Amino acid sequence: MAIEILVSKQNPDGGWPYVRGASWTEPTVYSVLALLAAGETKPARRGLRWILATERPDGGWPPQAGVGQSSWVTALVALLPPERLGASVHARAIAWLLETTGKESTLAYRLREWLLGNPRPPEQEFPGWPWIPDTAAWVGPTSLAVLALDKEYRRNPLPAIGVRIDSGRQFLLARMCHEGGWNHGSVRALGYESRPYPETTGMALAALRGVRSPETERALMVARRFLAECRSADALNWLRLGLLAHGQLPEGYCHPVRIEDRTLPDTSLGLLVAEAEKGRDCFSA
Amino acid sequence: MPPRLTRREWLAASAGDGAALLTSCGGERPVVPSLVSIVRAPVYDQRIYETVRRMLAEHRLEVRGRNVVLKPNLVEFEPESSINSHPLLVHAAFEAFRAMGAASVRIAEGPGHRRNTLDLAEAAGYFKTVPRFEDIFVDLNLDDVTRVRPPRQFSSLGELYLPNTALSADLLVSIPKMKTHHWAGATLAMKNLFGVVPGGIYGWPKNVLHWAGIDESIADLHAAFPRHFALVDGIIGMEGNGPIQGTPKRAGVLVAGRDPAAVDATCCRIMRIEPLKITYLRLTSGGESHITERNIRQIGESLAAVATPFELIPEFRWARMENS
Repeated sequence: MAIEILVSKQNPDGGWPYVRGASWTEPTVYSVLALLAAGETKPARRGLRWILATERPDGGWPPQAGVGQSSWVTALVALLPPERLGASVHARAIAWLLETTGKESTLAYRLREWLLGNPRPPEQEFPGWPWIPDTAAWVGPTSLAVLALDKEYRRNPLPAIGVRIDSGRQFLLARMCHEGGWNHGSVRALGYESRPYPETTGMALAALRGVRSPETERALMVARRFLAECRSADALNWLRLGLLAHGQLPEGYCHPVRIEDRTLPDTSLGLLVAEAEKGRDCFSA
Repeated sequence: MPPRLTRREWLAASAGDGAALLTSCGGERPVVPSLVSIVRAPVYDQRIYETVRRMLAEHRLEVRGRNVVLKPNLVEFEPESSINSHPLLVHAAFEAFRAMGAASVRIAEGPGHRRNTLDLAEAAGYFKTVPRFEDIFVDLNLDDVTRVRPPRQFSSLGELYLPNTALSADLLVSIPKMKTHHWAGATLAMKNLFGVVPGGIYGWPKNVLHWAGIDESIADLHAAFPRHFALVDGIIGMEGNGPIQGTPKRAGVLVAGRDPAAVDATCCRIMRIEPLKITYLRLTSGGESHITERNIRQIGESLAAVATPFELIPEFRWARMENS
């Protein structure tokens, strides 16, 4: 049923909207991944053609066709199989990710702060990824970039990739909320503690696959609590992926039936999580 | 299609047919006094429908055959707190504009922190309060966009992608909560426009606005939406470390007007904050004229009758009116 919804919602240009309207990169990538997993290759190929047509000259992808800037969605494109996307196109996406950091990690910004005598906050020690270039790094785009690079590293274990994965994971651990789990990025704002969100907690845990530490244990406890309380399809999808990455999704867990998919990414990500629960995790293999 | 009004025409209309230009003795430019209404509304109950209908009638808004977009402030999943604009007020505005003959009335918002907007709206009570909410709601974070250059530029943003639903509205109605803000001092009708900047393009949070300057970006957005009406939810606002971690503060008022800067300045006075110490208000007003108290034609309750000091975090205590 969910696959039929995805097929019926494909735009004539081959991409997918979030709900209705113009095609965007995020829903298109998730739809293609879900359709490929389901063996629906014809609409997936049309989606791939849309993705190929929207690549920007710098090797990154804009959030929507026609937007003049590459962005975080490049990490999603890099999750697509190179044999489907084209090896050289995929390599450019990986290169874009390797070259991109949050503005606070750039040499120009650090020099300016040093000249102004501003101390460097400890959480800025490790570079993460921004939503769009020339802005700060955040938990969401950093988690997705780590997932994409980790998948690539399994195929192509280059040291440069390993270094960014490690620093991205350190970024996430440094940004964890005091009580466990993740907000967007800041642990504290003006002296006040940030509270964790279910969706970012799930994303960060997915990116921290294989990392065992007291911090991740604390985050897993928060994720299990969110899983029981949360009523958002998007958040539940990411919580399930995050808990699965650590073998901590409760056995026999059932997605609450009364939770509605609000967007097409909710639907396609739900299908991908169901595949991951069967051992076919497109985010890691 | 009805002709579009410029901001100058829009504000001139708001002053009424007989309003004279005011000139001050200090050499300030002449200004058209902005009409701002303050109405007591002690609780969120069914009386709010009649209250809002009367308030909008006082401002003589001509919306017959036009497209109206209501922009509440949705921030967090905490329905018992005073973070989000109350759904009953938004629905009252929805019903009032429909009764006034608007061709379409939609509710639209693009939250800055949480991506799952409809889940957030459901938690905030919108699905329960607004019939067929999903059919009339637009997630501005995921709307189709157009690149625009605000007519007045205060920040380094330059061009900005903005959602077509907001850009094409004949009247954009900002319905914020009356809250303090830990970086801007106060968040009211003008700051509420951060929610029209699409997260789908700029991310969550909309960090590009922070780098470009929060106050300057607010002023840019104010310039980008000249057909703008403000209706501030001050029934229960937020004081202290707003806009999220503050504490509820009952002010028991609704404040409305066609000039969001004048409405925001009036709200600041109710909160006992000096408006000219709020940087974005100073930027927008050119540092004088139409946000000064004597250049606001205020109707309804007097400021003295409804003023209630909102607690400010230490970084903003210097902005209290008592310290002016």
